[in-house]
Amino acid sequence: MTEPVITLQRFFARAREGRLTGVRCGKCGALAIPPKELCPACYERAWEPVPLAGEGTIASYTVIRVAPRAYTADVPYAVAVVKLKEGVSLLGRIVEIPLDKLAVGLPVRFRPLVKGDQTAVGFGPA
Amino acid sequence: MRRVAVIGVGVTKFGKHDRTSSELFAEAAADALADAEISASRVQALYYGNVVGSETEHQLHTGPQAASILGIPAIPTTRFETACASSHAAFRHAVMEVAAGVSDVVLVGGGERVLNVPTPESTEYFAYASDAVWEQTLGLTFPGVFALIARAHMQKYGTTEAQMAAVAVKNHKHGTLNPKAQFQKEITLEQVLKSAYVADPLKLFDCCPFTDGGAAVVLTSEEVARRSRRPVWVLASAAASDWMLLGDKRDLSRVPATERAAAAAYKQAGLTPTDVDVVELHDCFTIAEIVATEGLGLFEPGAGGLAAEKGMTSLGGAIPVNPSGGLKAKGHPIGATGAAQIAEIVTQLRGEAGPRQVDQARVGLTHTLGGNTATVLVSLFGRD
Repeated sequence: MTEPVITLQRFFARAREGRLTGVRCGKCGALAIPPKELCPACYERAWEPVPLAGEGTIASYTVIRVAPRAYTADVPYAVAVVKLKEGVSLLGRIVEIPLDKLAVGLPVRFRPLVKGDQTAVGFGPA
Repeated sequence: MRRVAVIGVGVTKFGKHDRTSSELFAEAAADALADAEISASRVQALYYGNVVGSETEHQLHTGPQAASILGIPAIPTTRFETACASSHAAFRHAVMEVAAGVSDVVLVGGGERVLNVPTPESTEYFAYASDAVWEQTLGLTFPGVFALIARAHMQKYGTTEAQMAAVAVKNHKHGTLNPKAQFQKEITLEQVLKSAYVADPLKLFDCCPFTDGGAAVVLTSEEVARRSRRPVWVLASAAASDWMLLGDKRDLSRVPATERAAAAAYKQAGLTPTDVDVVELHDCFTIAEIVATEGLGLFEPGAGGLAAEKGMTSLGGAIPVNPSGGLKAKGHPIGATGAAQIAEIVTQLRGEAGPRQVDQARVGLTHTLGGNTATVLVSLFGRD
């Protein structure tokens, strides 16, 4: 059995410390985040972990005003797809940016979103 | 492979019901069997769609439950779950069972009940169809998913909120012609544009409602169908998937699973988009209809918004879309939606759709999307 290069648990443990980690295929060079078992470009299993800068720009965003019950106290809040400068994209919660300042193309930077034991992806001002 | 036909359809009234999802399915299924003029004793399998039964009704194992409530407990039953596309996925597998010669008469349907829980609770359950680790933890909702798609479409093609609103106005108008629809009231463009934001840029009237309901269709082999009064032939049934995570999708303004499933369906049937006379597609949000009309090849990418605004997709237009009122006005009982769309297309191709009948409808298409655009089913139907 091959050890996974980076498990979800390890990804989020690093993310909690502010470090964003992707994986690069040792065969074809494709970059992926979050980690996958096989390379979707060449189907090989030759990943190596690679640190990402956490810098990117907003590709699309929305302001959620009707929330699932665990998040009703947070409304309104923004969620965005962020294109990282390395070329891959991640969905994240927007923090510390006024909702009326949001725009497609706005530069943002990764911020871990820590709530108790749970870590999620956030993006704040660049 | 053998030819497969739909010979009977049944749909409950959509809206709020004080009945279980299995009861709603059973009512629709009994109606479908009566419509097919075939005895329940001849049904050899049930393919069933139900999505949030575990959450809203504390009910797993809904396949045999639905068959038991209908009164045919002994046949093989399987519940399908592909989020909002569940009963269309069930349909595709049932088509394969009949086409392969395993069975001659198969029942397909779905049932869903969600209006027995408050909106923040149902919003949470629907969000279970997005990724629990990467997306639900952000407070992502389904209006949120389609708002991200809408913003990307607006950014890339200049699609406007008024164009999206035109879809809602059109589908509500169609809904007034459907006695089974949840909403049977026309709305104005201004009402849509002035409704409150749910997930910017989508507003309340850009969103389909939460709905309770059931739907069913009877599938048979050609031999059985030839003895029925008005069979509608299944010309194709295709499925495709895409990345689960929104971050993994290359271009949010398009739905590759729709494009792949449509290409496979057209190829199976030997047809092209211009052959299609009537479409029931997955308008869970107004932008979803615009993107689907493009993905199905009815319009070029980016042209769907303008086409809706010009009335090209209205009854009487170049290619009528969602004559039933669509998910937007007819309602969206998620596990039953695919079967209900098929029921509408069969009704249209039989020429029995009354005031919402599309003239000269010979080829019909159904399109159902599941979750965060990660599942799509497309089927094509024709008459003799």
